[in-house]
Amino acid sequence: MNIWLMAAVVIIATLVPCADMCLRGSPERRLVGLEMASVMITIAMVLLTVGTGRIPFIDLPLALAIMSFGGGLVFARFLEKHL
Amino acid sequence: MTAFLDLLLGSLIVSCWLGVLGMWRMREPMQALHYLALPAWGATTFLTAAVFLQTGNSQAAWKTLLMCLVLLAINSVVAHATARAFRARELGHWQPRDGDPIEFVRPGRVK
Repeated sequence: MNIWLMAAVVIIATLVPCADMCLRGSPERRLVGLEMASVMITIAMVLLTVGTGRIPFIDLPLALAIMSFGGGLVFARFLEKHL
Repeated sequence: MTAFLDLLLGSLIVSCWLGVLGMWRMREPMQALHYLALPAWGATTFLTAAVFLQTGNSQAAWKTLLMCLVLLAINSVVAHATARAFRARELGHWQPRDGDPIEFVRPGRVK
């Protein structure tokens, strides 16, 4: 296991507090936890890509970063209007 | 070079954990929202520098830089939209009105 994969494991561990935010509490707290989780997963995917040497997979975190923008906006709008 | 790479990845981990723990500890969602900036700005910058250091002038490094710029840009927009949604959900409106405990400039009063 190289240093990139070790860093990825430590970053993936940050998903535990994010999951706690997403699973408990008010809808506002859950949305903040979801947005933080999307940033953490993006970073972890880059670390895994470089750590495993499968460089073409770098497109996946790039796509996730762009898609999470739309997801965050939709959830915020939904929270504002309907929840 | 390896020591500098270790330093960059260590800084990345510290900024991510500080952001997550800060978010986790805050009681108000509006306060927790502020901690999104730490990983979105700090960690992605360290990550981009580390990937450039590891792979050199490669396609992966430039795509990581693009991802960093995307995260920097969208984090501001999403955080604003989320804060606006929180305020509108709580008050029924998001624009400041008379009686709100904040200072604001009325439209048309700026010269």
